[in-house]
Amino acid sequence: MGTVKELNISPVGRVEGDLDVKVYIENGVVTRAHTQAAMFRGFEKIMEGKDPQAGLIVTPRICGICGGSHLYCASSALDTAWKTNLSPNALLLRAIGQATETIQSIPRWFYAIFATDMANKKFANKPLYGEVVKRFAAYVGTSFQKGVTASGRPVEVYAIFGGQWPHSSYMVPGGVMCAPTLKDITRAHAIMNRFRNDWLETVWLGCSIDRYMQVKSWDDLLAWVEENESHRDSDLGLFIRAGLEFGLDKFGEGVGKFLAYGTYLHKDLYNTPTIEGRNKALISPSGFFDGEKYHEFDHMHIMEHVKHSWFKDVPAAHPWDEPLPTPVPSQNLEQTDFNNKYSWSKAPRYMGQAAEAGPLSRVIMNSNPANLDHQFHDPLFGDILKQKGANVFTRALARMHEAPRLYEMVNKWLSEVNLDGAFYIKPEERDGKGFGATEAARGALAHWIEIEDGVIKNYQVVAPTTINVGPNDDLGNSGPIEAALEGTEIEDPHDPVEVGMVARSFDSCLVCTVHAHDEKTGKKYTQFKL
Amino acid sequence: MANVLWLQGGACSGNTMSFLNAEEPTVVELVTDFGVNILWHPSIGLEIGEQVLELLQDILSGKITMDILVYEGSIIQGPNNTGTMNYFCDRPMMDWIKELSKVAGYVVAIGDCATWGGIPAVPPNPSESTGMQFHKKDKGGFLGADYKSKGGLPVINIPGCPAHPDWITQILVAISTGRIGDVLIDDYHRPKTFFTDFVQTGCTNAISFAQKIDGHFGKRGGCLFYEVGCRGPMTRASCNRILWNRQSSKTRANHPCLGCTEPGFPHNDLVKGSVFKTMKHLGFLPKDTPKGNSKLGYYLRAGFEKTMGTIEKVTGGHKELRETSK
Repeated sequence: MGTVKELNISPVGRVEGDLDVKVYIENGVVTRAHTQAAMFRGFEKIMEGKDPQAGLIVTPRICGICGGSHLYCASSALDTAWKTNLSPNALLLRAIGQATETIQSIPRWFYAIFATDMANKKFANKPLYGEVVKRFAAYVGTSFQKGVTASGRPVEVYAIFGGQWPHSSYMVPGGVMCAPTLKDITRAHAIMNRFRNDWLETVWLGCSIDRYMQVKSWDDLLAWVEENESHRDSDLGLFIRAGLEFGLDKFGEGVGKFLAYGTYLHKDLYNTPTIEGRNKALISPSGFFDGEKYHEFDHMHIMEHVKHSWFKDVPAAHPWDEPLPTPVPSQNLEQTDFNNKYSWSKAPRYMGQAAEAGPLSRVIMNSNPANLDHQFHDPLFGDILKQKGANVFTRALARMHEAPRLYEMVNKWLSEVNLDGAFYIKPEERDGKGFGATEAARGALAHWIEIEDGVIKNYQVVAPTTINVGPNDDLGNSGPIEAALEGTEIEDPHDPVEVGMVARSFDSCLVCTVHAHDEKTGKKYTQFKL
Repeated sequence: MANVLWLQGGACSGNTMSFLNAEEPTVVELVTDFGVNILWHPSIGLEIGEQVLELLQDILSGKITMDILVYEGSIIQGPNNTGTMNYFCDRPMMDWIKELSKVAGYVVAIGDCATWGGIPAVPPNPSESTGMQFHKKDKGGFLGADYKSKGGLPVINIPGCPAHPDWITQILVAISTGRIGDVLIDDYHRPKTFFTDFVQTGCTNAISFAQKIDGHFGKRGGCLFYEVGCRGPMTRASCNRILWNRQSSKTRANHPCLGCTEPGFPHNDLVKGSVFKTMKHLGFLPKDTPKGNSKLGYYLRAGFEKTMGTIEKVTGGHKELRETSK
């Protein structure tokens, strides 16, 4: 008989906020995993009874990494509730804000959060380890500072239109606050070009964006790597070669279901915002992929479960029908009973199923043959999913794959801003319900609002981290990260780098803490480093 | 040389994200050139789990010197003053902070949540959040009004939602290079070098403020003070002197200043009519007026300027010189 072990990791680190993970290990394989969000602030409760526009100020502060995405949702939710009109310029400048925040997160996440794990000594016996350490080691890696510094560039563009990043509130119901001038547009182009020249083409791709965008299948991608020295030696080339050599494609599979709300509302297709008209107006498409088929996204299929969350029990409900959460006493990881309540995160489900959110979900939607002409068409990740499945490697690859496309879109949208056009159309305030959604860098994000008597009656936020990091649902089914951890082989329970890598492949915005225990003896491992 | 421990409580990581945008110096240069040694940071620290616990224990036992404790996020005391709504390394974060503050050379609170409670502390304050040494405008907070670190200073408050990266890096450099004596702090414990002038200093719409020309969303030119609630004239910060992301500031991007470096933020607790609207008496007199004027004096001077503008408009003497070109 093999031994059953329990691993507790607290804090897991390099995810934002606090996440504790408890895994049970049997014969070196994770058999069960529980994720615990360890901090409660009650933002939804704070908004009750407040000014209807309070979400524009409050919700970006839910998460300093995805503040612009929260703002995109908060303004969109008010657009649908107040039945505003949006000018093409307003839609373009919101899309530019969302895209620059996301593209910022790509190198910042890769170098500061993810790739440092590849420099873990677990991989020291691999031929490419030396090169990986040279480039990706924290602070001292040759690409680390280049990538982290380059990550500040796109949000300079955000600051031109929003005043600052993080935490602007420049997207408002009816449009945007700013009215940029030609010098703003020109400077924004120049900054994006610098991002391309300093990192995207030179350090990351080792080729032009045009060349990279010709990659349409897994075989194309492998052929691209081997095409020349420049591709092979680029950071992407190294990541692909080392990722496969290190076996990052062998663990972290997950639930095999994918959810994207989509984003970037087309400048000419969403001038009268409605919830019903949203799917068709998206440039980055929404959808639910169940592993075999694509389904049209409908927000009414989302329900939140709280049986295992530290909130008063209520039946699973759609956010519009949920009461504001009432907290109940919590415990630390050691004292938590995982058959009962164990996390500050709720458990969102789509059509009753756990589905993962994130860049991989987005690029899978891009492979849907039913996408409309103005939407992304990109068969690459439909193919990669078939050939390689979901795992730590494909999640990271999906994240990085978005950079060239977003770079092109930001430049395109900048060129489409009409300096003689309107940026803001003053709306009429009214009571009602609203829904706003987007794709934050780390996945599907949505806000639901109900306004009554001119103040907020109900405000519900479901963040991508909630979707991925959430606990078991009412039926006892695991959340996406819990599921992705199950089956993971842990080479050294004293240094369970695999657990951290799975968690960080989802880029949950919580500081992730893993607790490892020997399940039979109850012995807790005391020394490890992720 | 200074050892820095950076912890987050009721935080969104916004100050960390802002910190990572730092340019002169960058975060990496802070480490390599300015002697700042980051013992641990939740986002960019390499250690996890037990290693962090051991580090905290070594700091408390004096084995490792912690020159600077940087704290981001509110102190979560709920429910019922237990702090169990925010566990860290198996204990309430507030218990760690209580002990760590006793051995810290200096304590730096970064962002509004850490300085005075910020958004989490807005009523009904579901997490019972407070700031390190202030609760909103009131001195005291979590550590108490009399707290001083081993270096002899109270908590150094670097407010803002988020704080500007230069405000953070320059204070860390001042401590690590032995120049903390040059940092003077005001009544709210803010370094005066950043928080003496008002946001309006350097605002590109200052002339419109003087001439009482209204601005609005989506419009070029005009002052945002009269209609959409800009707090630039009442808020001390260097946003228009040290620009954000090296590019701009809220007011330069036609975004009303939210007053986020003042302890009232979010002002008026987000009540109906307070968000992106100037709250007024009798429908036309701004409730909050620029600092440095008596209210009556401001109303009279502003009223004169407004009336003159209206007369000039009617008589054709007024030209829209303040409309910025595209």
